[in-house]
Amino acid sequence: MSDFAVSEVGLEGGRVLLSATQLHKRFGDNEVLKGIDFDVPAGSVSVLIGPSGSGKTTVLRSLNGLELPDSGTVRIGDVSVDYGAQPTKKDVARLRAQSAMVFQGHNLFPHLTVLQNVTEGPLLVQRRPAGEVRTEALALLDRVGLASKAEQYPFQLSGGQQQRVGIARALALRPQLMLFDEPTSALDPELVGEVLAVMKDLAGEGWTMVVVTHEIRFAQSVADQVLFMDGGVVVESGPPEAVLENPQQPRTRTFLHRILDPI
Amino acid sequence: MPRHVTRRMTRAVLLTVSLLLAVVAGACSSGQPESSLDRVQQTGVLRVGTEGTYSPFTFHDPATNKLTGYDIEIITAVADKMGVRAEFVEAPWDALFASLMADRFDVVANQVTKNAEREAKYALSNPYTFSAGVIITRTDDTRISSLADLKGLTTAQSSTSSWAKVAADAGAKVEAVEGFAQAVALVKQKRVDATVNDNLAALEYFKSTGDKDVKIAGETGDISEQVFALRPEDTALRDKINTTLDGLRADGTLAEISKKYFDTDVSTGKATEENKDQAANQSTWELVKASIGPMLLATIKATIPLTLISFTFGLAIALVVALMRLSSIPGLSQLARFYISVIRGTPLLVQLYLIFFGLPALGLTFNSFTAAVIAFSLNVGGYAAEVIRSAILSVPKGQWEAALTIGMGYTTTLRRIILPQAARTAVPPLSNTLISLVKDTSLASVVLVTELLRVAQIVAAPTFQFFALYGVAALIYWVICLVMSFVQSRVEIRLERHVAR
Repeated sequence: MSDFAVSEVGLEGGRVLLSATQLHKRFGDNEVLKGIDFDVPAGSVSVLIGPSGSGKTTVLRSLNGLELPDSGTVRIGDVSVDYGAQPTKKDVARLRAQSAMVFQGHNLFPHLTVLQNVTEGPLLVQRRPAGEVRTEALALLDRVGLASKAEQYPFQLSGGQQQRVGIARALALRPQLMLFDEPTSALDPELVGEVLAVMKDLAGEGWTMVVVTHEIRFAQSVADQVLFMDGGVVVESGPPEAVLENPQQPRTRTFLHRILDPI
Repeated sequence: MPRHVTRRMTRAVLLTVSLLLAVVAGACSSGQPESSLDRVQQTGVLRVGTEGTYSPFTFHDPATNKLTGYDIEIITAVADKMGVRAEFVEAPWDALFASLMADRFDVVANQVTKNAEREAKYALSNPYTFSAGVIITRTDDTRISSLADLKGLTTAQSSTSSWAKVAADAGAKVEAVEGFAQAVALVKQKRVDATVNDNLAALEYFKSTGDKDVKIAGETGDISEQVFALRPEDTALRDKINTTLDGLRADGTLAEISKKYFDTDVSTGKATEENKDQAANQSTWELVKASIGPMLLATIKATIPLTLISFTFGLAIALVVALMRLSSIPGLSQLARFYISVIRGTPLLVQLYLIFFGLPALGLTFNSFTAAVIAFSLNVGGYAAEVIRSAILSVPKGQWEAALTIGMGYTTTLRRIILPQAARTAVPPLSNTLISLVKDTSLASVVLVTELLRVAQIVAAPTFQFFALYGVAALIYWVICLVMSFVQSRVEIRLERHVAR
């Protein structure tokens, strides 16, 4: 259980868009979330860091119901799900509709063109007019630097380009909240920068983002709030300059040391 | 007048056997220096080919399992009188003549009806049975009392039986069945109006079943003669059998055996005029040319529609069953498993029989084509379900998650995201299922669908051109499957276009 659950940043940043309260999750004997609490103010970027197995991805996936915690509440805007109270599929789907996700493995639809990947949600789910969706999708692709690739299939793109399509696909849903699950971990090092640059732009435009990543420098320059997780709890959280440059907890220090000075 | 009946289902397997035997026969029928009569006398063994499944003529006594029957006793009496031992070789009707020609035995004792075609091809003995053609109808049916009354009505006949021709010549529509019992069943189910057969088969049927629902409504006026058939060069052995038969007739042995089985002497009768329609001395080539039209027509009207309709329904069933298998709703998965197990665990032929002949007992009567479509669809459903299930499982979990996060529900996800990707995995095995189905439709002949193989059988049976006609049928099936394989490879290329190589 963390004592640092509600950060100063959240309180200062105005309206809280996302609120996670007391998330608990257990896989068999393994308790992966031991009571997670945090708030994300509207328009802010929160970065979750921590060693693998710390539960950060599970936290992120709890925010859109890809993972169902055993108990705890997630509220995004005015939609709230109490996982302890056996929410229906419909309840979880409503919560899920508040956010969009960018996956580690991009999970683009291989049988659809780049443009179709982006328009699929707005057309089929949100049922917006085709002309408008197409124009907006092309604009989004342009924004991630891929307007020329609209008619290609995902396999024809590089890993970085695929991930940028994944971002455009998520943005096309016009979500209140963008979730990023280690968006650069599966990429070749030279392709990481183009993806992070797009994310940085989004942050600058005022998107509310929750990012799981190992990119400490990205956190330093973009995050409003950093949450360091280990062993299923948020060990330490706060603005990047506090958590990353002057960590209070030994576990945070050890982790950062290992990441920044691996040899 | 010709007569003979096949009571047994005629399966592609048997046909293949007879085909192969015919080839063998062709290869070794020449140059047999030693006469069969000499060999029979030297070895003391007369080898007799017979079905062993045609009661009361040649069958196994249920109590003792010993081969017995009217034909068996007569040929045994002949052998005894010749001072040799009769050794029986059992073979399906369709294979009997091919086996005879392949020297698997010396004589066929199986109610072989004398006719011009057979006289031309084989050495035939003098008759040992004389029987009359009869028309069998429902007991309450008063419309029919002679062959002339059959005009415009429907009869059920064995495809390989010469009675089919009698009925057709009388102007009746002929449905092909597998034997007398099935024909009677169709009469009783009002699927056909009558069946024409000989009085012996009918009397034996009434005697063994006590069936009161059908009756002998009239006689055809035909008398047919049953003979022993031998290889054409074995005239010496045939003459020896004839003199022996004369002796047995004179001393009353034949009459005695006949009365034992039929309460009357059917071993003598007034000689009938020779069959007038001197059967087409058509050449094989002419026969093939004449039959290709009807065979292609049956392919277009039955084989291909049956395949495509059944495959479409089958895939729909398979998809539903596959989704049930994957469902977490209690009971659904088990139900689907049970279905797959039953379909895969029972022969397709049995499924066909159950649906066509079995369901009428429960008040569900389907016409032939519908029954075949139902059976094949259910069958494809069982097999393809597992293919589709594993194809769905082969799509990465991340695809489901991505679809969920863009807000898609289960059905939309399946339709737009999962199935198009699963198709790539599923097409090769499903193509196998489809190609098997093309060939399996040949089984529809047993429920009276006049498809490709049935037409080949109908043409081949009276002409004995098994090799040529089944060869043509095989060729047509092969061509269909070639076309399908071609389509399959095009579809695969199309589905692969999103995939890096």
